[in-house]
Amino acid sequence: MLEITNLYKKYLNSERFAVEDLSLSLRGGEIFGFLGKNGAGKSTTIKCLTGIYPFNSGSIVICGHDIAKDPIKAKLNMGYVPDDHSVYEKMTGREYVNYIADLYRVSKRERDERFDKFVKQFRLTKAVDSQIKSYSHGMKQKICIIGALIHNPKLWVLDEPMMGLDPQSMVEILKRMREHCADGNTIFFSSHNLDLVAKICDRAAIINDGKLHSVIDLQVRGNKETLEHTFLSITADDDI
Amino acid sequence: MNIILTLTKLEFRGKFSGFSATSKKSWAKLAFGLLFYAALLYVIYAVGGVLFRMFDKAGIAYEALVIIFTILFIILLITGISSTIKVLYYKGDNLILMRFPVSGSEIFISKTLFLAISQFVTTATIVVPVLLAYANVIPVGQMFYNSIPVSVLFLVLIPFLLSNILAIPIMHLTNKIRNKFGLIIILLSILVAGMFAIYMFLFSKVVDFMKNDSFSVFSPEFVYTIQQTAKYLIPTKYFADILLHNEMYFAYPALIILTGISLAGMILVINLIYQKTLLGNIEIEGSAFVRKTKNKKKSIFAALLCKEFIQVFRSVNYSFQYFVLAVAMPVMVYFCNSIALKLGENTIGEQISVGMTLLVMLIFATVITSFSATSVTREGNNFYHTKIMPVPIRTQLLAKFVMYLLVSLTANLICVFILIVTKMMEANVAWWVFGIVQMLSIGITLRSMRYDIKKPHFNLSGEGEVVNATANTTASVLLGFVVAVTVGMLSMVTAYMLSLPISMIICTLLSVLIFLYCVAVYSINLKKTYEKIVK
Repeated sequence: MLEITNLYKKYLNSERFAVEDLSLSLRGGEIFGFLGKNGAGKSTTIKCLTGIYPFNSGSIVICGHDIAKDPIKAKLNMGYVPDDHSVYEKMTGREYVNYIADLYRVSKRERDERFDKFVKQFRLTKAVDSQIKSYSHGMKQKICIIGALIHNPKLWVLDEPMMGLDPQSMVEILKRMREHCADGNTIFFSSHNLDLVAKICDRAAIINDGKLHSVIDLQVRGNKETLEHTFLSITADDDI
Repeated sequence: MNIILTLTKLEFRGKFSGFSATSKKSWAKLAFGLLFYAALLYVIYAVGGVLFRMFDKAGIAYEALVIIFTILFIILLITGISSTIKVLYYKGDNLILMRFPVSGSEIFISKTLFLAISQFVTTATIVVPVLLAYANVIPVGQMFYNSIPVSVLFLVLIPFLLSNILAIPIMHLTNKIRNKFGLIIILLSILVAGMFAIYMFLFSKVVDFMKNDSFSVFSPEFVYTIQQTAKYLIPTKYFADILLHNEMYFAYPALIILTGISLAGMILVINLIYQKTLLGNIEIEGSAFVRKTKNKKKSIFAALLCKEFIQVFRSVNYSFQYFVLAVAMPVMVYFCNSIALKLGENTIGEQISVGMTLLVMLIFATVITSFSATSVTREGNNFYHTKIMPVPIRTQLLAKFVMYLLVSLTANLICVFILIVTKMMEANVAWWVFGIVQMLSIGITLRSMRYDIKKPHFNLSGEGEVVNATANTTASVLLGFVVAVTVGMLSMVTAYMLSLPISMIICTLLSVLIFLYCVAVYSINLKKTYEKIVK
């Protein structure tokens, strides 16, 4: 579903690599957590794999399509929710989702069906025809998620999806994540939240200083503790 | 008192935050700014002199002074209301200040002080050259010069105090209509086109006067109307009366009483409703409209184009920058062309009128197309959408380009239609002008877009909008002006020295070269450069 091979990314005017020799392989139907402290390289990796940032070397293949060589086909298979849930706020919720659906070539029948389902699931029925600028933080996040899912992507990428959300919204998003995976799709999400990753992920990777530290299978008994131990040992020597 | 001083200092520091005493660039910018300001003041003085001479010839110099004071009063009142609403109610720091143990009155007084000082400096620097121009034309005594500071003080104070009282009701009104975008755009278009029409009427009279200044350019009816109107322009006629020592015993008390009433009104506003309105406004700032629609499938290109129009059309700021000026373009072209023809009657004939039209249309096209220099910048926090969507960059940019093209094409077509219908130009020449303007307009649009692709400025403010002109906009306007002046002047000179057909061939060749250069600069490494943009 997602193959990252020997990814290197260095920012302009920077001496060190933000991501260095990172390789990951994600299977269909799994929720994959991407853990790391602030500045570890989580968001940079996500921005490279979504096509937002160019990268120096390596390859990223989504559903068999290389993001650098065949970006359109790769992007058609992916949905992305950014950490700052930025959306076009002058549009109404419905206009925004329709705009995204048009760009991803979603048929009228499919968009009607999915739109109604998601709007109901995220309790946005009343707000969906209001301009997005009137939405709360959580509502913006939800409309962003609906936009990312309207084309039913095989790979759903989320950057810090639970940041600043109330418990009710978190539950709704987690439910949707599980349902999306149950249909054979893959979720790749970054987080600081160790408990959340341990609770819902099938596997998790820890990234530190741009390098992949470890990939832990959370289905194996006792590995949730290993994840906690590994993550805390990395963050313990943080210079605050 | 200390808090008020600290808050006032904070306002000034915010205003001059870009200046650094150790930076050579800052000093160079300051020097350039002062030079520009001095040149502007000289232009005001010179234009003021011509206007006063023209009105004096008709025996209505005093009335002209009253009218100028009235116009300034209205401008100061409007800008005062606008600044008051912006600084006192909408500025982001209100949200911060309200969290601190600072009273509403202290915030109000500090911000009011800042506004009053800024307004006084700006008004004084504009009014003084106008009054000096008057004194240069009409013989006045020493008392005229002595009364200038008093007159300026009243002129600043009264509109300022009134604007503080009027700001709240006007703000409520604008909050009510702020989402009626169509209505706002229509009203703004009428207002801008009207202002241009009045300006051009006056300008055409100046041209008449400059051609022959031995007699009045105004009809007796016009003079009578102006005289009767000036009598009733209260309180602005009192500013002129103070300077000229007319009805002194009436003018001074009237202005003092008006200042007192306005001051009392403002104090009432502070004590009774400022804090309440401030809190209320912070709450309604995010007010939005509801638009019930159905899910509808569009083609990718139609979706991109529609989104571009929504982004511009649902912003008063962008609509003004873009659509409203496009509406004003045909008005300006009509008046400028009639003036050009008038200028040419006794001198170099009709040959230069084509070049003049070309110059005016190109200058307007430049101003309109400079909007394309924020193509990427305007995406702001949503820029990531352009990178993640499964649509080629060229298609996305084409949608933006088509939006610019549709507006400039419509404005250009209306201009040509006006030129042909009013018989200002022969149809074949008018269509040639259209072709040249459209070709150069496309070229400048593409070049401007490329400026922004190379270096977008994502530091947006307010509701995520570009409020101030970016360096790319400045570069785009400069390029447009250079092209407009070069092609326009070349057309005038060659038409006068050679012939119109040869002039048309030369200008076409130059325009094609400029067009090809712009298309080439836009196209080379476009995808690669776009991919490098990082927010």
